[in-house]
Amino acid sequence: MTVRAIAFAIVCCSAVGAYAQDDASASAEFRAALELAAANDPGAIDAFERLGARRPITRWTDDAWSEAARLAELGDDYARARRALEQVIALGGEDRLAQRARSTLSRLTAMTGNGAWDAVAKEHERLADAVFGGDDPRAELAQLEALVGANPRYPRANAMRRVIAIGWEQEGDGERALRWYRDAAAAGTAEPGRYADLELVRALIRAGLLDDAERRLADLGAIASVDRDGLAAVRGQLAIARQRSWVRRGLWALMLALVIGAGLALRREVGSWRGAGRRIVRPPSEAVFLIPIGAILIVVAYMGNPLIAHAVRTITLGGVAIAWISGVLLEATRARRGSVGLARMAVHGLIGVVAVASLAYLAVDAEHLLDFLRETWRGGPSVR
Amino acid sequence: MRLAAALLLVAACGGGDDRGPVAFTDTGGTLEVPGCGYSVTTRVGAEPPRLATAYVGEDPTPRLVHLGIVGDPKTSVVAQWRTVDETTTATTLRYGVGANLAESALTETVTGIQWAYAATGSDLPRMHQVHLCGLEPGTSYSYQVGSPGSFSPIYTFTTAPDIVAHPDAEVLYAFVGDSRGGYDVWGQIVAQYQARMPDLILYSGDAVTIGIVQEEWDLFLARGEPLFAQVPVVMAHGNHEVNAVNFYSQFAMPGDQENFGFDYGFGHITVANDTPSDSGALTGSTVEFLRSDFEASKTARWKLLMHHQPMWSASNHGSNLTLQATWGPVVDQYAIDLVINGHEHEVEITKPMRGGAVQASNADGTVYAVIGGAGAPLYANGNEFWTEYSEKTNGASIIRVRRDQLVLDAFRLDGSAIPMSFSKTKP
Repeated sequence: MTVRAIAFAIVCCSAVGAYAQDDASASAEFRAALELAAANDPGAIDAFERLGARRPITRWTDDAWSEAARLAELGDDYARARRALEQVIALGGEDRLAQRARSTLSRLTAMTGNGAWDAVAKEHERLADAVFGGDDPRAELAQLEALVGANPRYPRANAMRRVIAIGWEQEGDGERALRWYRDAAAAGTAEPGRYADLELVRALIRAGLLDDAERRLADLGAIASVDRDGLAAVRGQLAIARQRSWVRRGLWALMLALVIGAGLALRREVGSWRGAGRRIVRPPSEAVFLIPIGAILIVVAYMGNPLIAHAVRTITLGGVAIAWISGVLLEATRARRGSVGLARMAVHGLIGVVAVASLAYLAVDAEHLLDFLRETWRGGPSVR
Repeated sequence: MRLAAALLLVAACGGGDDRGPVAFTDTGGTLEVPGCGYSVTTRVGAEPPRLATAYVGEDPTPRLVHLGIVGDPKTSVVAQWRTVDETTTATTLRYGVGANLAESALTETVTGIQWAYAATGSDLPRMHQVHLCGLEPGTSYSYQVGSPGSFSPIYTFTTAPDIVAHPDAEVLYAFVGDSRGGYDVWGQIVAQYQARMPDLILYSGDAVTIGIVQEEWDLFLARGEPLFAQVPVVMAHGNHEVNAVNFYSQFAMPGDQENFGFDYGFGHITVANDTPSDSGALTGSTVEFLRSDFEASKTARWKLLMHHQPMWSASNHGSNLTLQATWGPVVDQYAIDLVINGHEHEVEITKPMRGGAVQASNADGTVYAVIGGAGAPLYANGNEFWTEYSEKTNGASIIRVRRDQLVLDAFRLDGSAIPMSFSKTKP
């Protein structure tokens, strides 16, 4: 009995010892594979797979397969990722790693049609990365267009259409972008939430096609599967866009009226259109002072955020133009009447302020910076 | 046993009383949570926290269920919710050990605490919290919340693993921020996260456009509920939260809910408020807090700092130079591995930085990641000397933490991978 017990204890101890040795060596191997992965070494997946395939099983076996799957997916090798995930599932039973592997496998299977679309998915990912991360992605956008055209039944064809739409919009080809947003919406009617439809309405709003957007929204309002929060948000965006459109039109009309008014006033002071023309080409002292200051302002602005710089440039150039017209008008008035009365000066100044404020609003609006400005007003500026 | 003993006391104190809400007072207050070794403090604008009573209002249906962390995430979790009527003060949680259990298997019952707080809208929102302490590490529990006759669906959560017993433990943090105003996008990100099964959600702020608008919080929480009811969420305060009582009432978090640190798996996460009510704190007491938390956690395997406004960014707002000058040296001194931010509505990751200069490898510096694409209008991305990768896109990220490895993988709204994977190993 005692001998048996001792023998059993020896067997147990050697088994535990062997396991501990295996575990330590597997742990070192796992760490070495991690180092390869962190260094973006393509051999990392092989190293994880070797460790996963090693027997006896250690505590690192399922972790190795899990890492192999992650790296394979990152490298767009979906077949290899699926194989590795199946290993984790086979090993893990119900633990967290196995549950995650099941979930990831199901995601990858849906994405690639269980392997039927691996090559298309790989190309899709490559081109999408180039569209979002590249400097001039027009060639990749054209390739994506061809890819989706050749594979309309690819499970993520609509995601591809949306990437194309976003890409062309970022490239400034609004018409082509809208065509793809429309295609995605038409193909996405069975998708839960109808997000492609909502994206189309947002794109229409951005393009200033507010009536089209309103019609689309009215149609979507009657469809139960449309994401209600998204619908409410887009309705809010449309209402704001409408308000801004009216303000914009009003300000442009005001600016036009001020220019015409200034022209008529100048003609009256000078006596003829020809004389007014001669006056306007001579820079007044206000403009001579402002031009170098404006130039410095523009240069400084372009050292920072380009969107803000565009707005600063427009405001500065417009401000110089306003000062120029204003200065010419005042000089002409002074020349004709000998002096400029206080009331006339006040009205003149007030009109100048209105013109500059209108110009500033239009410049900020043109660069889509109104919301950014509002946020900065509320939250305070970040020092750059 | 410790859990049962701890919460029996709460049940004994609160369970038998059927009084409804008392007259609202907005003084805030503190209540010790028996058996958990910590207390819950509410801010001015909210009632003092009170033990639950047995009172059930007209419609006690629980909604906006979400989990939080106050104590050790290996052994505790906090379930939080509101009811439709906002008057029910009964606050009960039923649970059992195991994932996806049937209602009959939820054999343990625990009573919690509740309070109302002032917010927009006609009703005073009433928070319900149950603090579960004394749980087993790395264990799944099924639970439902509500009051007798009106319980939520059954959800499952899993406590943080014990890394001493399981040196191969891997945990996944979902990390994202800036959903404000874009709750349909946020809903799509939540769906992506559900497929990735994170253990913890780290949210870098600006969940809503204005923190005092309760309707927005309700949208945020409703879209997040499928995830938040199963995975604890930890929030950093963003500038749009405006230090509103809504923010501090709705999320159970350690310490003062603004500046705190905690361990989860092999990671230590420090959270800081970079838009405190007292702006002087930013360069004073917050820096002191960072120093003390980093010092206390300097033996942690992986160190992460989460706050809202990035010290390094090439997007719309740009780098926050105040933080860079005052927090940056402390981050450098304690060799923080990864700093995670939002504020910029795009995704962006830096090269390893130290002393304001790019370093040769991740081992030599701190990497700063901005993942602000949870739904707010997108900003233009940019490229500066510190930029490793940036992209104007809606997206989110998963941070994978093992003993020897820290990895950040980001993905777009459609699930495709963003080519900005960050990986760091330690011997």
